[in-house]
Amino acid sequence: MPIITRQTNKTPLGIYVHVPFCRSKCQYCDFYSLTTKDDNLLDGYLDAVCDHIKEAGPLAPNYKVDSIYFGGGTPSFFGADGLAIILTAIRRHFDVTQDAEITFEANPDSVSDKLLHRLRAEGFNRVSLGIQCDNDEILKKIGRPHTYAQAVSAFQRIRKAGFRNISVDLIYGLPGQTLQGWQDTLDHVLQLNPEHISCYGLKLEEGTPLYEYRDYAALPDDDLQADMYLAAVETLRGRGFKQYEISNFCRKNLQSRHNLKYWTGGEYLGFGPSASSDFAGKRFTLLRDLHAYILGIREGGEVMEDVQEIPLRERAGEYLMLRLRTSLGISREEYERMFLLPFDPLEKVLRKHENYYHTAQDGDGRWFLTAKGFLTSNDIISDLLLAQDGSTPLKKI
Amino acid sequence: MTEQSKIRNFSIIAHIDHGKSTLADRLMDECHAVESRQRADQLLDSMDLERERGITIKATAVQLNYLADDGEEYALNLIDTPGHVDFNYEVSRSLAACEGAVLVVDASQGVEAQTLANTYLAIDAGLEVLPVINKIDLPSARPQEAKAEIEDIIGLPAEDAPEISAKNGINIRSVLEMIVRDVPAPKGDRSAPLQALIFDSQYDSYRGVIVYTRIKEGTVFPGMDIKMMATGAVYKVVEVGTMNPFGLTPKESLGAGEVGYITASIKTVADTRVGDTITGLENPAKNPLPGYRPVQPMVYSGIYPADGAKYQDLRDALEKLKLNDASFVYELESSIALGFGFRCGFLGLLHMEIIQERLEREYNLDLITTAPNVVYRVTKTNGEVLMVDNPLDYPDPADIALAEEPFVKISLIGPQEYVGNMMELAQQRRGEFRDMVYLDASRVELHYEMPLNEIIYDFFDALKSRTRGYGSLDYTFLGYRESRLVKLDILLNGEIVDALSFILFADNAYPRARKICEKLKDNIPRAQFEIPVQAAIGGKIIARETIKALRKDVLAKCYGGDITRKKKLLEKQKEGKKRMRTFGTVSVPSEAFMAVLKLDED
Repeated sequence: MPIITRQTNKTPLGIYVHVPFCRSKCQYCDFYSLTTKDDNLLDGYLDAVCDHIKEAGPLAPNYKVDSIYFGGGTPSFFGADGLAIILTAIRRHFDVTQDAEITFEANPDSVSDKLLHRLRAEGFNRVSLGIQCDNDEILKKIGRPHTYAQAVSAFQRIRKAGFRNISVDLIYGLPGQTLQGWQDTLDHVLQLNPEHISCYGLKLEEGTPLYEYRDYAALPDDDLQADMYLAAVETLRGRGFKQYEISNFCRKNLQSRHNLKYWTGGEYLGFGPSASSDFAGKRFTLLRDLHAYILGIREGGEVMEDVQEIPLRERAGEYLMLRLRTSLGISREEYERMFLLPFDPLEKVLRKHENYYHTAQDGDGRWFLTAKGFLTSNDIISDLLLAQDGSTPLKKI
Repeated sequence: MTEQSKIRNFSIIAHIDHGKSTLADRLMDECHAVESRQRADQLLDSMDLERERGITIKATAVQLNYLADDGEEYALNLIDTPGHVDFNYEVSRSLAACEGAVLVVDASQGVEAQTLANTYLAIDAGLEVLPVINKIDLPSARPQEAKAEIEDIIGLPAEDAPEISAKNGINIRSVLEMIVRDVPAPKGDRSAPLQALIFDSQYDSYRGVIVYTRIKEGTVFPGMDIKMMATGAVYKVVEVGTMNPFGLTPKESLGAGEVGYITASIKTVADTRVGDTITGLENPAKNPLPGYRPVQPMVYSGIYPADGAKYQDLRDALEKLKLNDASFVYELESSIALGFGFRCGFLGLLHMEIIQERLEREYNLDLITTAPNVVYRVTKTNGEVLMVDNPLDYPDPADIALAEEPFVKISLIGPQEYVGNMMELAQQRRGEFRDMVYLDASRVELHYEMPLNEIIYDFFDALKSRTRGYGSLDYTFLGYRESRLVKLDILLNGEIVDALSFILFADNAYPRARKICEKLKDNIPRAQFEIPVQAAIGGKIIARETIKALRKDVLAKCYGGDITRKKKLLEKQKEGKKRMRTFGTVSVPSEAFMAVLKLDED
């Protein structure tokens, strides 16, 4: 009995493992990853991450891990053995719950049946597959190392290997993409019956090859991207998907437990270079350099950078910025209780945007953004932050 | 007190860039007034802005102690003059404090419009004008031609003019010797009633206003009660002395012929107008010195804080600037669009830019400036005559019997190959050709009469760009002339933004209206709804653009590592909104106002 009580009192924690290896670099991607199969480096990474996990575990005795996410990079390219070893280390040093959601990201070109069966057996229960687009010409243009046919085959093999929660990543706004082309991608991917779909608008990141030749890339303009986004929302809703975040849709209430932590103020710990954490009131990022990370762990040096303690007032801004990304939205009761700030100035802004059907209120009085509101969310959120700036704390009674 | 025979009061006049400040530096070096290692370049231009722009905005004076070839030590008072056409009156007062002027002419560029204007001012003031040919070290130098030009155009003997290089310190001593020899020693009776000419003043937070003055008659000393003859203000002198390159040197008294400063716990420069005469409260002079006139602003514009909450800060800053600049006037103004701000009057466009820049730099303010305008004279049908310095006060067209705008006579000087360009420019700006004079084989002076309004925006810049920097401009006020004027209103989402209204010549209304609408369209961010941008005269819409509704402004991805970065983006967007002004339902960033001001740049 006491043991069970202690378990339920523990704070939920997400673990993120950044696997910084890829077969090739996509033209639009600015995540930290290396295109190497150098065994020394791969082993060095594996040892460092496992050591890091071993070090960190004892610092989180009052946490239970209900989500583990291997992102990248391309975890599937890193291979099943390595992922299994890291997962085992996490299980050994953290209290991982029975029903934890354990995800790995995969690319269609690096999912062998052997890898899938091995990882399923290790306890992985969710796969996030990067498909992006159904048009081979565009896939080639953006540097994806696979075709759409390979993606379909990968999906089917993942399913066959026993995964019942598969997510698919898609991108709209790609070079040369048309509204019809995007609609086709959605229709084709829906035939695969994924449980979860992420639809991201292409973002040009400085330092990426695509950013350099953006003027020659025939990129859809903002209006077309807006149309693509609204088409996705409508199509996916029509097929029984729930939009639970700006870019994320799911069936059967299978939201990504890990990602929700980011948007609802949950705690998470990251391992591997460039991984971020929000843990015990502090937000920090690990060094964005594999060699430095390995050295830091091995020699006991500093691997964290940009450590920030986030004051409550700032958390209040984050609450608006992150919660309004989700279908949960925000509420007066929650806001005033958590941050002791008045909701009235915010409501005024929300009402203004309600006139354009960009915000809406449900029966319980929670405010959330509509699909059109999501599309212009920066404008709305910055309005809210401005209103929040001018507000003075409520007096405690 | 220094003996009058050992005093020489002079100024240096030159066209911009002809080397006036550099020469001043060299003269100081030569007199060992300044240890070179202690000297930032161009000491007299003490404001950062002056140094950056390479022009003198305020007059300053410095005393050099020069041991001449005759074995005597002389006190040479160098009075620097502002170097821009906006400050003609200040120049004339500085010159009135001197007996001589060194005319610096660039050996490669010769006489320019500004040189002429200031030389005539000096000659009118009865000064001995001494030409100096500068920059003789340049490969393009043509000193003989420059001398010939001085003789032909100005009518001054220039045969023996020293040929110098201020930059490289060549022949500097010959300039000093010439000053001692040819500038007349000052006269004046030191026991007569005090008459001291104010040629500049400067506010100092510890001593109050420091008045720079030339004693014409009588003597002034600490403890003496003095009176400003034009403003009537009365003070007790705290300190008198002379200026050296490092600061002020107190003296027991200043007597006729001397140049120096007076402090008297004066709180505002408004009491110490340039050109005013200081006299004694007891035993006052019968008459003030001639030449004083109250400054008349030529150009007006509205200045508002970009962030409405900063109104008080702007007010304080203007008050402080005013302490130091009697030619700058302002009064409270309120705009429906911009809230509380100030209607400010300036001597000219450069003066306006300087004030704006100082407000932004020295007082760290974000400003919204409305389009500058001149003062219009409107006679209403009921006979009433209005001087309109604010478009908001422009009467209804039905009530106007006669509308007039100020005209100026402009002089353009430039190389002969750019005559076509200069004429084209002047004609585009409604210039009426008067005459054309060949100054020599290659340089031409053109005279036009044109509305002042046409040169306050960007005429000088346009002239420079069309003459590859060689053209020069000077203008004098002619008077008011009848004109066809209209008031152009700008509407955002159907509502007039009063701060964007302005008065202009009727024929220019259509093209200008179109340009303004385009500029606003490009500079106002999309909102959640469509915004019509219209320009109207009276009730009639003459141009229109539409700002499409905002459709996409979203951060598609936001995961762990992104949160800090994305938060910064949103914070930045929020800060941007703080600097926007809301008109009805439309938010307009201050850049949009600036863009409207700079219509002609593209």
